[in-house]
Amino acid sequence: MTYIGAEEIISPLGQNIQENFLAVCENRSGISLVPKVGFNNEDLHLAKMTSLTAEKKFEFLLVDMLENISVQIDPSVISSTKTLIILSSTKGDLDRDISNPFDPAVGALVKHFNLKNQPIIVSNACISGVLAINAANNFIKAGFYDHIIVIGCDVISDFVLYGFQSLFAVSALPCLPFDKNRSGITLGEGCSAVVVSNTKEIFKNLPLELLSGTSANDANHISGPSRTGEGLYRTIQKTIRQNNISADEIDFISAHGTATIFNDEMEATAFDRLNMANIPLNSMKGYFGHTLGAAGVMETAISMRMMRNNLLIKSLGYSEAGTSKSLNIATENRPSELNTILKTASGFGGCNASLLLRKL
Amino acid sequence: MSFITACCQISEEACAVNGNVIVRKDEQSADSWFKQLYKELALDYPKFYKMDMLAQAGFLASEFIKKAFPELVSSYADDEIALLFANSESSSDTDIRFKESFQKRKSPSPSLFVYTLPNIVLGELAIRNKFYGENMFAVFPKFAPEFFLQYGSVMLATGSKAVLAGWLNILKGKVEVSVFLIEENKADGLPFNKENIIKCVGLADQA
Amino acid sequence: MESLKEDLKKQIIEQLNLEDLQVSDIDDDSLLFSADGVGLDSIDALELIVLMEKFYGIQVTNPEEGKDAFLTINTMADYIEKNRN
Repeated sequence: MTYIGAEEIISPLGQNIQENFLAVCENRSGISLVPKVGFNNEDLHLAKMTSLTAEKKFEFLLVDMLENISVQIDPSVISSTKTLIILSSTKGDLDRDISNPFDPAVGALVKHFNLKNQPIIVSNACISGVLAINAANNFIKAGFYDHIIVIGCDVISDFVLYGFQSLFAVSALPCLPFDKNRSGITLGEGCSAVVVSNTKEIFKNLPLELLSGTSANDANHISGPSRTGEGLYRTIQKTIRQNNISADEIDFISAHGTATIFNDEMEATAFDRLNMANIPLNSMKGYFGHTLGAAGVMETAISMRMMRNNLLIKSLGYSEAGTSKSLNIATENRPSELNTILKTASGFGGCNASLLLRKL
Repeated sequence: MSFITACCQISEEACAVNGNVIVRKDEQSADSWFKQLYKELALDYPKFYKMDMLAQAGFLASEFIKKAFPELVSSYADDEIALLFANSESSSDTDIRFKESFQKRKSPSPSLFVYTLPNIVLGELAIRNKFYGENMFAVFPKFAPEFFLQYGSVMLATGSKAVLAGWLNILKGKVEVSVFLIEENKADGLPFNKENIIKCVGLADQA
Repeated sequence: MESLKEDLKKQIIEQLNLEDLQVSDIDDDSLLFSADGVGLDSIDALELIVLMEKFYGIQVTNPEEGKDAFLTINTMADYIEKNRN
């Protein structure tokens, strides 16, 4: 069995998982209006960490995150020869060195914590986080490592913000996932981590079970979501089949929900095709914005807290159905037995990934 | 048992399939090196011109492999060929160009921005070949044969029947491209192990 | 008109970063947004809107109008002739 635990988050909503989960439980958003950040000097909504100003902010986030993790597990695990770190990130520390966005920060992390194995950087657009957790599970099942710490991290840069602006994909309001009035993404930044292991005893709090996950490509378009949700449909179907789980066993879906017109429509189409439209679902983008390479890890971490507390968290920003296929979107927090949950992600390059978590 | 059944390497001046040079760069040609290779393939796929160099590199190498094995794509179901790619430069070549579009030309270019992720090459290969299978793009400071061996084995053990793997570095004119095919239950080819991965990628000095 | 079409092809190649294409590779009547033509997509349409404003001072505000105008080099040239002052 593969265990997953020690979930952690650093974001505009807090410096650790407790602060972040409390904020989410109170339906507080990390999104705020930031003056003059747009390409034309316009004010834009971002989930920005105002404390994050150091030149080495990306590196500092990674180091702080591993410090947070070290108090949640047997601390000797971090520098074990049987431990690997997988970093999930799209742009790394691009502002520091555009030709070498990952090495300096990862090198510093290796040195600081005396890591024994060269970390792997998964850079697979917005599915990076889910894909990295799946890779961790696969590596452990194959016996290559005993423990894998998956860290997802991305910071806001002019580069990425202007890029999404050039695609007319940035929302003027805080993003409204799955809502009728949604009009694009709100960018966010932060860092999140989970520990995946074959050993239950390394965790200070009881871990959950990580079931095998999969990925699938739309084979349709590099930046436009598939109209049929083909890749998302396929990865979810593969994942539930591999684990012999049926749709009615899934208590909750942590969806991707970027709040662009086409992404949310694509997801609704895929869930409808899978007969999953009635399963309670949320998007965390209304709380954290879209944190790109960190998103999949962060949303998995929040889902784990939701399971531990048997609390369904409402999808912030949603008020009126806005997809052609209806979904069961959580409109308020409510106690709910959450034993098995599905996490999905979709991204540029036509990629989609999914994973399942189950209580022990 | 799995085997490496085909490989294609492209450098700044030559393109080789299974170790045999099949095209050398014509320095006199008005066409870029990658356009020369595209013409050599005699394909009609205008999307090629829209791709960035990283995507073009993956496209060209995989097309040369397909040319050598015309039955490759049709002999597998549409989700049985996994894509496992890595490099050390991420999408830096295009990242630099996109940054110039908003810093120097004062107009962030959407058509460049969509290529500022290294996994876009996987999307292009998936679209071209109707591959709906597994995808993975990873970044390492230097060539990491163990990663290809470990994750290639993982992919073959979790449902994929073949893996199209690639090490693709494109930055400021540097061209370091190797794409190789790993297949299960094939009688011919090089056993899928670290030595043969290094041999196929041709980077023994770095590994 | 002919020089306008030549200019347009050059500008499209530059704006859309199609360095490997030459003006002679694009026919006046090849469908820009067809896979059999130049194979442009919705992202490239955004670039063409920028191009129209940058080089010709024409603001394409109605996407439907853009769709018709960006069909081929011929239709783009006609559109520019009609709309620039």
